[in-house]
Amino acid sequence: MNTYNPAYALLLFFAISLLGYLLFRPQKGWFWVIKNNLKSNEKIVIEDILKQLYHTENSGKEINVNSLTRALKFNDRIIVEVIGKMTNNELVQFDGDVLKLTNSGRDYALRIVRVHRLWEKYLAEKTGYDKMDWHEMAETKEHELSYEETNLLATQLGNPKYDPHGDPIPTTLGEIADVKGEFLSALAVNSVGKIVHIEDEPDVIYKQILAENIHIGSQIRVVKNNKQRVVFYAEGEEFKLAPIVAANITVRILEKDEIIEENRVRLSSLKEGEVAHILGISKESRGESRRRLLDLGFVKGTKISIDLKSPMRNPIAYLVKGTSIALRKDQASKILIKKD
Amino acid sequence: MNNNSIKSIIDLSSDLRWKIGDDFYDGLAEGIYADASKIASRSVSTENQNKRFGIDSKIDKIVTSKTWGFPIMFLILGVILWLTIIGANYPSAMLSQLLLDTIHPFLKGLATSISMPWWLDGFLIDGVYLAAAWVIAVMLPPMAIFFPLFTLLEDFGYLPRVAFNLDYLFKKSGAHGKQALTMSMGFGCNAAGVVATRIIDSPRERLIAIITNNFSLCNGRWPTQILIATIFIGAVVPSSFSGLASLSAVIGIAVLGLFFMFFTSWALSKTVLKGEVSTFNLELPPYRPPRFWKTIYTSLIDRTMIVLWRAILFAAPAGAVIWLISNIYIGNESIASWTINSLDSFGFLLGLNGIILLAYIVAIPANEIVIPTILMLTVLTNGIVGGQGAGVMFELDSANAMGDILRAGGWTLLTAINLMLFSLLHNPCSTTIYTIYKETKSVKWTTVASILPVIMGFVITFLVAQVWRLF
Amino acid sequence: MEKKGNSACDTCVHFNAKGLKKLGVNIDNFDFVVALAGNPNTGKSTVFNALTGLRQHTGNWPGKTVTRAEGAFEYNSQKFKLVDLPGTYSLLSTSQDEEVARNFILFGKPDVTVIVVDASRLERNLNLVLQILEITDKAVLCLNLMDEAKRNNIKINERTLARDLGIPVVPTSARFSEGIPNLIQTINEVATGKIICKPHQIKNVPKNIEDAVKTLSIAIKKEFPTITNSRWIAFRLLEGDTHIIDALKKRTLV
Repeated sequence: MNTYNPAYALLLFFAISLLGYLLFRPQKGWFWVIKNNLKSNEKIVIEDILKQLYHTENSGKEINVNSLTRALKFNDRIIVEVIGKMTNNELVQFDGDVLKLTNSGRDYALRIVRVHRLWEKYLAEKTGYDKMDWHEMAETKEHELSYEETNLLATQLGNPKYDPHGDPIPTTLGEIADVKGEFLSALAVNSVGKIVHIEDEPDVIYKQILAENIHIGSQIRVVKNNKQRVVFYAEGEEFKLAPIVAANITVRILEKDEIIEENRVRLSSLKEGEVAHILGISKESRGESRRRLLDLGFVKGTKISIDLKSPMRNPIAYLVKGTSIALRKDQASKILIKKD
Repeated sequence: MNNNSIKSIIDLSSDLRWKIGDDFYDGLAEGIYADASKIASRSVSTENQNKRFGIDSKIDKIVTSKTWGFPIMFLILGVILWLTIIGANYPSAMLSQLLLDTIHPFLKGLATSISMPWWLDGFLIDGVYLAAAWVIAVMLPPMAIFFPLFTLLEDFGYLPRVAFNLDYLFKKSGAHGKQALTMSMGFGCNAAGVVATRIIDSPRERLIAIITNNFSLCNGRWPTQILIATIFIGAVVPSSFSGLASLSAVIGIAVLGLFFMFFTSWALSKTVLKGEVSTFNLELPPYRPPRFWKTIYTSLIDRTMIVLWRAILFAAPAGAVIWLISNIYIGNESIASWTINSLDSFGFLLGLNGIILLAYIVAIPANEIVIPTILMLTVLTNGIVGGQGAGVMFELDSANAMGDILRAGGWTLLTAINLMLFSLLHNPCSTTIYTIYKETKSVKWTTVASILPVIMGFVITFLVAQVWRLF
Repeated sequence: MEKKGNSACDTCVHFNAKGLKKLGVNIDNFDFVVALAGNPNTGKSTVFNALTGLRQHTGNWPGKTVTRAEGAFEYNSQKFKLVDLPGTYSLLSTSQDEEVARNFILFGKPDVTVIVVDASRLERNLNLVLQILEITDKAVLCLNLMDEAKRNNIKINERTLARDLGIPVVPTSARFSEGIPNLIQTINEVATGKIICKPHQIKNVPKNIEDAVKTLSIAIKKEFPTITNSRWIAFRLLEGDTHIIDALKKRTLV
């Protein structure tokens, strides 16, 4: 006990805590970094290159080895080495200095894209992970699932056509539904459309879209579009976005006969004493949460009114089919109604 | 019969489903409800359409109102806790008079008269019987008061309103409003609180409620808090304030428990539990007048007796272990004193001592016997006059006398404060651990729920001890 | 639906009060298995207790019984094992409770399924009833909490309801043990085949789903001619229910 001194004991404690934090903090911890580096083998590099090429070609651009090394975070030497092997295996070919996918390369790329989007769908439907985490997790998982596992997953998810962001999921045969649409930032004033895709990269912009509470599948009407602001109405609310943010939202212009009544609003805007009918649940409500709402009777045509407000005004209890059911505000914002 | 045809059916369904697209579930749910609506409208006739029934909605307006919602809630919870703690004193005293002061000596006498060997007598009567008797005396009365009262409220239908009122607070820490109720239940007994989490139908929030239930001070721990606060905290202020001071210290610990509960809930929901599915919905059922006697009966049978029985099952062997470790010698030392010596320096770092740590290890089965075990071990290792012999747990009638023994054992105000903290923050009792396993069916979550609080306890008491000694 | 010996009560000839024994948890050598299903908070556990004489705790809480509780009663020297399933709003979701209830009705093949509903919230409760009727054709509707419904001036035409659903309907107030003899009598008649049910099939399903279900249902019937609930199997296959896929592969459905 002679060497004991409370101050030293405290110092030692904090030193150990700091070390533990540096080693194991989420994502950036040294332990995880080392573990990831050990795992990044050739297969992952090949698949990431294929995916990068696929996305580039899809957006109608071209890519060479230089820009590829910049886009991927692997060691340049490894990338060059792997591209060599890939040309030998006829996954890619050079057209001048432009790198292109061969047919078998494109098939392979589609398989990776399929796993990625299916996994995002899985995370959205069957787990509680936050939207912000989906992409990162799918980036890892896409290299791990085998062909059979992927198909089993697809069956369990009911063979979905689109991932939660609105991107089409390729089928086993490589068929892919197309997403037609224009960027929100490019829409003329007064055009009416439906949000079909919300891009989840880069993080900064995605976070802003989430914070605005913009929901995929909403019908919108643009009211203002200039260099500073894109302003639009959706579900009874007004949204203002910077054009750079709006450019990450894809909207499909609706034909006249497709336009559904525009006085659909969110349940969260219902006031005490008002009566409304449910029009449906937003695509933004997913998985178990969505099913539970449907099972509880929040289905099209059901009469709904406010029964009780809690002291903090959130949650609010709604009267649905003779029963009082409390919902939180974020849930209520995903139920669409038409006030009577 | 071949498997190809099965495969073709499954492939067909895959294909059909792909064609239907994403709206399958919506379409199905809407279709079923449309049928339901049609059938109901043909056979049901009612005068008040879609309105909740008069009296219900009047009660609801009051118990969830901005002004009255919270006061009514705290009043009810306060009254229940008060009835439990104060009301349990009398039957507890009577039971302990009967089981500890009358039957125990009687059994000892009986054993002597039939000249039972000392080790068998000690093992069975001082070990097994005494521990079980202790648990019954301390645990039965409060539970027999708390659970029926709580059950009456539950049957009436008030509890969902509490969850409704408090959900906002719990949502902030990633939890479910119903956790307010499982926590309150935990004030009675953590094992019962863990069982009660069944009412939370969202997997993530249910796990949070299970893992954090231990932060509700349970019946087995209230007496420890009250006793230590009376002896040590009450003593540092002028005697006219001592009651108030010790009371605030106990309430302070309980509130600290709430704080840890919120903090841990938040941390869990952001880290290890973030992948678990999370949903929310809360049905506010109609009020129903409880059937008083039936409720009392079922709650006694269902909750009190089951929990008590489990506690006895776990406590009896603990009593045996306590007696054995104080009476089996290796060389010159009993196992108890050997363990105490090896735990002493670690205990010192935490501002506790080896005796307390050993008491918490052997008392994992039942927190009720922590104080009697500490007293017995203190007398034993320090050679103080008093007590009833090696391995025989005891308590004294006067808090002062107990204080004297503990001070003679080297206790200071720091030891007392850290014991109170450690009593709040340590692993759940074995009954609770077992219940957690039964409810979650998962070794992983049972381990997390068991280890997490004790690590927090080590860290907090360590920090308090070092800072205390610095000044 | 054919109904013989309908109006049963404590005193009338059909109900044999002496033939009733509540057996509690004593469930050896039973002749029939009866499943008890229903929404949360409909007094399902009260019905269970009234039938078995057990005193399982019943709280005024949605979702109290999570694990299956079992009990038994004897009527006319035939033993009925009663299984209390978790209360659920639906059988279509992935939650643990619903899986337990769904799989028991489908794979446990109870001789009778008693569906307990809250008479004052019939429409909401019918959601579950209609789903169960897709799975099994031996069911009894227990119209519970009739006392509450009466207090709130809700009248239910039991005959219309029974005709629309195609199963016998028994009004009860289990808290006051009203209607329980009639319920026992009806359970007995369905179990022994005296009453044959012709359960309602869900009609208002959107056309694209209905067509898919029909196609799939025909394919299933071709492979398993004896199957009676091919429509439900089709619904579940489209849903991607792995239990069903496994059961098809192992042929444990028939």
